[in-house]
Amino acid sequence: MKKIQKHKHLISAYIVSFFAIAFTLLPITWLFMLSIKSKGETFTKPPKWIFDPTVNNYVKLWENDLFKDTFFNSIYITIISIVLSVTIALFAAYALKIYNIKFKTAFMQWLLLAYMLPEFLFVLPMFTIYQTIGIYDTYVGMAIIYQVHVLPFSIWMLRSFLDEIPKEIDDAAIIDGCGPLQAIFKIYLPLIIPGIVATAILNGIWVWNELAIALGLTFFDSQPITVGVASFRGYASIDWGGMTSSAIIAILPMVLFAAFAQKHIVKGLTLGSVKG
Amino acid sequence: MKQTPYLFLLPSILFLAFTSLYPICYSIYYSFFNWRWGDEKDFIGLSNYLTLLTDKEFWIVIKNTFIFAFFACFFEITIGVILAIYIDRIKIGSTIIRTILLIPLMVSGISVTMIFKVMLDNMFGIIPYFLSFVGIKSNFFGSYTAAMPTIIGLDIWWQTSFVFIIILAGLKSIPNEPIEAARMDGASEWEITRHIRLPMIRSLLFLVLIFRSIDTLKVFDIVWGTTAGGPGLATEALQTYAYRVAFSFLEMSKSMTVMVLFSIVVIFLTLLYSRLNKDL
Repeated sequence: MKKIQKHKHLISAYIVSFFAIAFTLLPITWLFMLSIKSKGETFTKPPKWIFDPTVNNYVKLWENDLFKDTFFNSIYITIISIVLSVTIALFAAYALKIYNIKFKTAFMQWLLLAYMLPEFLFVLPMFTIYQTIGIYDTYVGMAIIYQVHVLPFSIWMLRSFLDEIPKEIDDAAIIDGCGPLQAIFKIYLPLIIPGIVATAILNGIWVWNELAIALGLTFFDSQPITVGVASFRGYASIDWGGMTSSAIIAILPMVLFAAFAQKHIVKGLTLGSVKG
Repeated sequence: MKQTPYLFLLPSILFLAFTSLYPICYSIYYSFFNWRWGDEKDFIGLSNYLTLLTDKEFWIVIKNTFIFAFFACFFEITIGVILAIYIDRIKIGSTIIRTILLIPLMVSGISVTMIFKVMLDNMFGIIPYFLSFVGIKSNFFGSYTAAMPTIIGLDIWWQTSFVFIIILAGLKSIPNEPIEAARMDGASEWEITRHIRLPMIRSLLFLVLIFRSIDTLKVFDIVWGTTAGGPGLATEALQTYAYRVAFSFLEMSKSMTVMVLFSIVVIFLTLLYSRLNKDL
């Protein structure tokens, strides 16, 4: 009797996950199918389930220099943001782990606040100061403002990875007479490489997907891919080929990266407070 | 060296001061002016706050934002928790299920809008096509009544896995003994969930609630990318409103006033979280 009950529970669990997976994958699959249909087949009613797949939309998209630029812009902005945040955060996380810092609680609360603040709050103030100092519509300008989100996140993540390092290693570092810089680069850094990779990936996903700030602080030279995808949203003319293929191009790299960071995603989503 | 720790924190502090303190101070300062693009900036005291708070349009926007946040949070948390409870039972294949369900979270808001714009398009969308068989003429983004529920639906598709992933991790971390003991005493699965599992992850439920409510109040991408606040004001949210006030009407001070008021709400929720989190 108990056993039957248990099987019933398990079967219902599989049924539920089947529907959840279908609900998750169908919209993306549909988008992908539309992106490999030819123009004539996109709008047929009833929809054609069997068709000759074509990469025409992607070829056309890639020949569109405006979109291609946004793709590479996003890569540069993402890399600069990641390098900046992880480097700065490494020192901060080390300091928070090793030393007694007077205003630690206040600092941690400030991190949380900065992380949570609404995006558009930054746009107008940064817009004017960026115009003045000449970093409006540049990769560096974008990477700097993104620190408000990715820097607190990186400090949290790296701190929680550092906290997992056993106490004996801290003691050993002190006994060996390591200076702080030596301790960071020779002892701790090699131990948290997986953590740094995970942090970089999760930061990268956020930067890659960001739209609200980018709309305000870029004009042409540093427009990221989200703005590139948005440029196909036109109401008057329906360029479904552009809409679908550009969205797929924007989605694909992040889904692949996420697979690598899988193990640490729960930690990332809860700002390091849950191991997962 | 006594200064070393502060030296290590200094770059973080500088970057955070420039990217968070500076915009806050700047916005508060100019919320007391009547700055429009190009025009002069005159000090007008609390005028912006008074006009906004007596502006009917602004209250509609606030109402929209909270309706969106309430329903999106409610469905995302309910569905996410139920999914986690079911999928927690699965041993074989749970990693692959988790990986697939995580995908929407990796998709940018603007791509989410593209996915659903092509699926829900009145003329050529697949869903209106199927609905037409049962005689329903649908207008998902264009009608007053349907636009808001549609956007809430988009958010549910996009963000439910946030709840699911965190709650699932929490359920997996619960020790087995109390559950086995309750089972021995003849408790049903539902009773175990209700009285043991959920209470044990209440701090995570709280975290999910605060994070989701802040995030949904901040909604921008999926509104801007689909309806841009329309039709009329039906889906205008605080951030899309501030965007429109600044870049369409060029009323910089008014837009910053909106963001200052909104930031106070976000700061309040964040402090509430960090306060209560310690006790939980």
